[in-house]
Amino acid sequence: MGVKLYRKPRLRSPIMLATWPGIANIGLIAVDTIREALEAEELGEIEPWDFFYPKRVSIKDGILEALEFPSNKFYFKKTEQTDLIFFIGEEQPSGGEKIYAEGGEAYRIANLVLDVAEKFCCKRVYTSGAAVAPIHHTMTPRVWAVTNNPELVAEVKKYKNTVLMSAIEGREGEGNIVGLNGLLLGVAKKRGFEAICVMGEIPIYLQGLPLPYPKASKSVVEILTRSLGIEVDTSKLDSWAEQLEQEIDEFYRQIPPDVRRQLEKLKHTLHAKPAEPSPITEEDKRKIMKDIDKFFKKRGGGIE
Amino acid sequence: MSERSPFKVYRKPKFQSSSLVVGWSEDAAQLGPGVIDYLTQRLGGEKFGEIEPEDFFSLGGVRVEDDVAQFPESNFYSCQENNLVIFRSAAPGFEWYKFLNSILDVAEHYCGAKEVYTIGGMVTLAPHTAPRTLLAVASSQEVKDVLGQYDLARDMDYETPPGQRPTLNSFLLWMAARRNIPGVNLWVPIPFYLVTSEDTEARKRVLRFFDERFGLNIDFGDIDHDIEEQNEKLAQARLRLPEVDDYIRRLESNLRLSQEENERLTQEIEEFLREEE
Repeated sequence: MGVKLYRKPRLRSPIMLATWPGIANIGLIAVDTIREALEAEELGEIEPWDFFYPKRVSIKDGILEALEFPSNKFYFKKTEQTDLIFFIGEEQPSGGEKIYAEGGEAYRIANLVLDVAEKFCCKRVYTSGAAVAPIHHTMTPRVWAVTNNPELVAEVKKYKNTVLMSAIEGREGEGNIVGLNGLLLGVAKKRGFEAICVMGEIPIYLQGLPLPYPKASKSVVEILTRSLGIEVDTSKLDSWAEQLEQEIDEFYRQIPPDVRRQLEKLKHTLHAKPAEPSPITEEDKRKIMKDIDKFFKKRGGGIE
Repeated sequence: MSERSPFKVYRKPKFQSSSLVVGWSEDAAQLGPGVIDYLTQRLGGEKFGEIEPEDFFSLGGVRVEDDVAQFPESNFYSCQENNLVIFRSAAPGFEWYKFLNSILDVAEHYCGAKEVYTIGGMVTLAPHTAPRTLLAVASSQEVKDVLGQYDLARDMDYETPPGQRPTLNSFLLWMAARRNIPGVNLWVPIPFYLVTSEDTEARKRVLRFFDERFGLNIDFGDIDHDIEEQNEKLAQARLRLPEVDDYIRRLESNLRLSQEENERLTQEIEEFLREEE
């Protein structure tokens, strides 16, 4: 059990972008968009069988031909600005009972990812996920950022369209990042890597839909590419977001009018440009969250 | 600190070489456990080891079934005279790779197992009056060729459909092949309305194969009696419940039932068989 590297390229203090699936696959889609746009090459993989249940069997003419597991692949790309290593996990090793990994398996796989970071002398690790937020789907999602080192906070403050946890109303800089996109930050800290998790906002009422949210992925791509000093074409994400907008609008129309009236107020949360004379009040926001929770029978806003 | 072994072997069976037969306690029509329990009883199987549950099952409480608390068990039995190792277990909830490796470790290192057979029921829309087919999925062409002398269907094509996962039997077969242990997944299609009950005909189909393969000389008198009894009950259900008869008749004519009719037939048969017990 371990990591299998197909090749050993010479990389100059690369930066690692690592991600696993989560809400609306916001981080996964963002990192994969960059990987694809840069045409990163395969570097290796984590042998999956000790972590994952197989996802597909292929039987041909009475013989078991292949058993396929969720992929856990590393890629690399040398660019003029910086060298990059990508890790993209198709599933979190959640033991079959939950969506998010936790416990021993999560810790082991996080360490295997960082073993590769160490082997290639990575200077930084980025992870990415989703931030469930009281925003409206017509707004441009912001990116929430969490670092594993106080010295990185000043840098993150300079990122455009990005907020630190301390700037989120009612959080006072505290929260919980569920699953491996969060855990990797902690394990990186333990092993001496600097790491930042960037999470694209998704409206609270969309978090349970079986749909991606490319609009938030685009916000994450913009933050990552700017900080890496690279350029990536995001037009695919734009057209994908446009297509999904129709499905989201359709879903939105099906929400009972009284709840929808509350959701409409989210268009005027403080960070957006208000379309009405006064922005939403904190009391309004609390009521909206309560109504939404009641309607969707889901947990309140959180991050992963 | 050395890692704790996930299994316990109380005594090492005296095998030169053996065959491993695996069945899971939760199976369509209780096929796996039915076959395993029959073999263990008939061949005087003795429990010689087990896999400890703590790494593989959620032990947050107990499941209650028919007023009785259940607990996951994973036991090895040896049938010395027939060179058979039998493993009967609940399906693990996690750490599947470690669990399946433990089965193969015990079979290979303590019993000299040279081949692996798994048993599983699969759901079919065919009626119970159609003959049961025994399907075999082999780990290699060589194994498939060896099976040619038995009455088996050996030409299955299958890809896991989207949203589903492979079975533990496929996972075990793949792992055995990686250890160069030849293996076979045995499958019997079970009429959908018998899935939650029992299918004695399917049980006999698997046992007949093992009887031939291992030269067990099983007297099938008792199973034939069980089959007769079940067929009689199903015939009674058709007589007393015209709706059930109509559904089965349509299945016998290769006609499809609607989802609602499928569910109705299953419910009627389940209730009828329960009342008859």
